[in-house]
Amino acid sequence: MQHHPLTGPANTVAAAKLSEKQAPTGKPMLVRHAIDSQAVLASVAADNAGASVLFVGTTRGLTSGVATLSLEYEAHEMMASDCLAKLQAEALTRFELLGCAIVHRLGAVAVGAISVAIATSAPHRRNALRAAEWLMDRIKQEVPIWKCEQGADGVRLWVHPASMPQSCLTMTASGGEHEQYR
Amino acid sequence: MQIDPTPLARGNATLRISLFAGMADLAGCRAVEIEWAGGSVALLRSSLAAALPAIEPLLGRSAVAVGGVYATNEATVPCDAEVAIIPPVSGG
Repeated sequence: MQHHPLTGPANTVAAAKLSEKQAPTGKPMLVRHAIDSQAVLASVAADNAGASVLFVGTTRGLTSGVATLSLEYEAHEMMASDCLAKLQAEALTRFELLGCAIVHRLGAVAVGAISVAIATSAPHRRNALRAAEWLMDRIKQEVPIWKCEQGADGVRLWVHPASMPQSCLTMTASGGEHEQYR
Repeated sequence: MQIDPTPLARGNATLRISLFAGMADLAGCRAVEIEWAGGSVALLRSSLAAALPAIEPLLGRSAVAVGGVYATNEATVPCDAEVAIIPPVSGG
């Protein structure tokens, strides 16, 4: 019996070997040093990946017309690590990723420097792109990490958006969107 | 910082509550201790607001984590729980 060259047993074996060579899924990291984004991207390389996505968040120099000197990040580290690990696991399943890496920086981050890096890999681009966006949205909503803007005007401003999402509390939310506590 | 729990019901245990970011700035400390005989997250919120009125507006927009997990207002806070107030997050 002749086998189709793309679907026959030989290629099935090859496909099985490929699927074994997935990216090692390292735990999400909270770091206090500069993030090597290329290393984050390289960590999700997989033989069967058709797309790898790298997202980096960087410190913006101007927010609402006020110059920012740097951002200072702090976290509830144990809880943030747990939350990031759960999000990573959910992203791997939900978007059928081959690799997923998350690194968030804590402490002072100068203008232009990377505060967060997310890399995803998948057989096709759409899932890799969607997963990176989904992860960033979830991180910004529920992972206990906060930024403090150190303004050029000397003002320190903790950024506390309107409210924690309903999934995290049952009290009625108050306050405007993106309200900041000064 | 030790807070007189009055007018809270006095219990026989001290509950340590961790504060972060703008919440710590408002309170002037990174953790507070209150006497706690056990009760719900909702009771903890009102007890904390009574002890530290300055944090009340932000507390209303914050989540409460018990044992490192977000807890609803109906959840129970045991006397030996690890509790943190999680103000609206802004990572990324």
